[in-house]
Amino acid sequence: MKRQLAGLSILVLFLFSLPVYAGAPLNTTQVNVNKVLDVLRDPKLKSESAKETKKQKLRSIYKGMFNEIEFSRRTLARNWSKLNTAQQEEFIQLFEQVLEKAYIDKILSYTNEKIDFYKESVNSETQAEVQTKVITSSKEIPIFYRLILKDGAWKVYDVVVENVSLVQNYRTQFNDILAKNTPEQLLEILRKKVKAQ
Amino acid sequence: MKYFLFLIVLCTFIAVGCAHSPRPTSTAQPSAKSSPQLVMVASNAEQIPLQSTDTQDKSKSGSATDNQDLDYTNDAFGEERVEIADPLEPFNRAMHQFNDKLYFWALKPVAQEYNKVVPEDARVSVRNLFSNLGFPARFLSCLLQADFSGAATEFGRFTINTVWGIGGLLDPSSNKELDLQKQDTDLGQTLGVYGVGQGFYIVWPIFGPSSPRDSINPVGDFFLYPVSYITPWYASWGVRGYEEVNNTSLRIGDYESLKDAAIDPYVALRDAYVQYRLKKVKARRAKLEPSKPQGENSTTADPVLPKKEL
Repeated sequence: MKRQLAGLSILVLFLFSLPVYAGAPLNTTQVNVNKVLDVLRDPKLKSESAKETKKQKLRSIYKGMFNEIEFSRRTLARNWSKLNTAQQEEFIQLFEQVLEKAYIDKILSYTNEKIDFYKESVNSETQAEVQTKVITSSKEIPIFYRLILKDGAWKVYDVVVENVSLVQNYRTQFNDILAKNTPEQLLEILRKKVKAQ
Repeated sequence: MKYFLFLIVLCTFIAVGCAHSPRPTSTAQPSAKSSPQLVMVASNAEQIPLQSTDTQDKSKSGSATDNQDLDYTNDAFGEERVEIADPLEPFNRAMHQFNDKLYFWALKPVAQEYNKVVPEDARVSVRNLFSNLGFPARFLSCLLQADFSGAATEFGRFTINTVWGIGGLLDPSSNKELDLQKQDTDLGQTLGVYGVGQGFYIVWPIFGPSSPRDSINPVGDFFLYPVSYITPWYASWGVRGYEEVNNTSLRIGDYESLKDAAIDPYVALRDAYVQYRLKKVKARRAKLEPSKPQGENSTTADPVLPKKEL
């Protein structure tokens, strides 16, 4: 009897606690990643000439999936306030381009790897982590998405690949650069980087 | 009884609030560099009107005036400040350059040619074989961490893979029925689990990023890795070289993308190394103390975090 009661109460607890989160972060991420995969798998876009179309489509998915302001702010952390508004806007633009150029080829080279969305942990009311792994023929790559709830939408602000947080990695670099340079010089470095890529 | 306990645990879990509520303890990690006048902690009163009004022009208000805690010390993922002292930076940068050239001029071209000749399945098998030979170091690390189930898993894996996996070429232990997964641990992590910090950053020629603590790994391998016992010495080095080529052949492009994405590749690699190692040590700790709530790990003063710069 006691057992059944315990079992029942656990069930009730779950019933009441689950709808609160409703797995929204995981669902959002999965939907977005699937959109990316649809673009990549689209047979109409297989040809080399369709590359630009593909990039365009991926860009719009990216906009819906990521919170680029949060992304940029977090990479600069307390250095963020050293930039004036115009510089901040430019930084967001440049940083996005750096990321795009660095990762687009890797994403476009996707060849039917399997992606497993296996866990979601809601760490606070507005922050969550969705754990996924990309399974290739020779290895598994853990990729975690960190999401933030803003204006009713869960958006990604950090990606953790093989235990390495992208935000943190860039934060260390920008910290290092801004310890010796002005924000304007940082922007100049980024402009050069975008051009060189 | 079990159910009852479970229920209590569950209730506590839910009552505590799943992960952890933002705790003032997580801010108690002042960095030496932080300039207090720039750390703007906005009161909640300031934040609430902002969030309700910025419906359309979110980008403007979000980027310019939203001054919440820019240190993100109150973050749900309270592990944000991972830094390592780098007193040897000029030497390290030189070694980084050396390793970079070694990779692009020697290792990568060889691995690419090797890729063309040897199919991927075979390369994965060779990787398994070498990984199986790494058993002594992992087994010893588990024992030193008093992780006896891990040690038993490793022992089982080694036996099964050696006998049934053709000397370790195959990895039958990690399939679903047996589910003996490789214990991802080494001696450096063992020291980390016992609270030894990284110390500072060193880039060794050939071996790459390391620290005084993690340098125990190549030293340990000298004694524990069977390949080290091959005589004459150059044969042993040859086998190690082949292992490196084989492993590299399976991850061509990883280093390139890290480098391409980085603004300062040296700093990016250093940070990636520190983050990677720190999380591994944390993962081991979490495994060894499963009863401990996860939030505890990140908020209490963590001796592995080398926050005090030397």
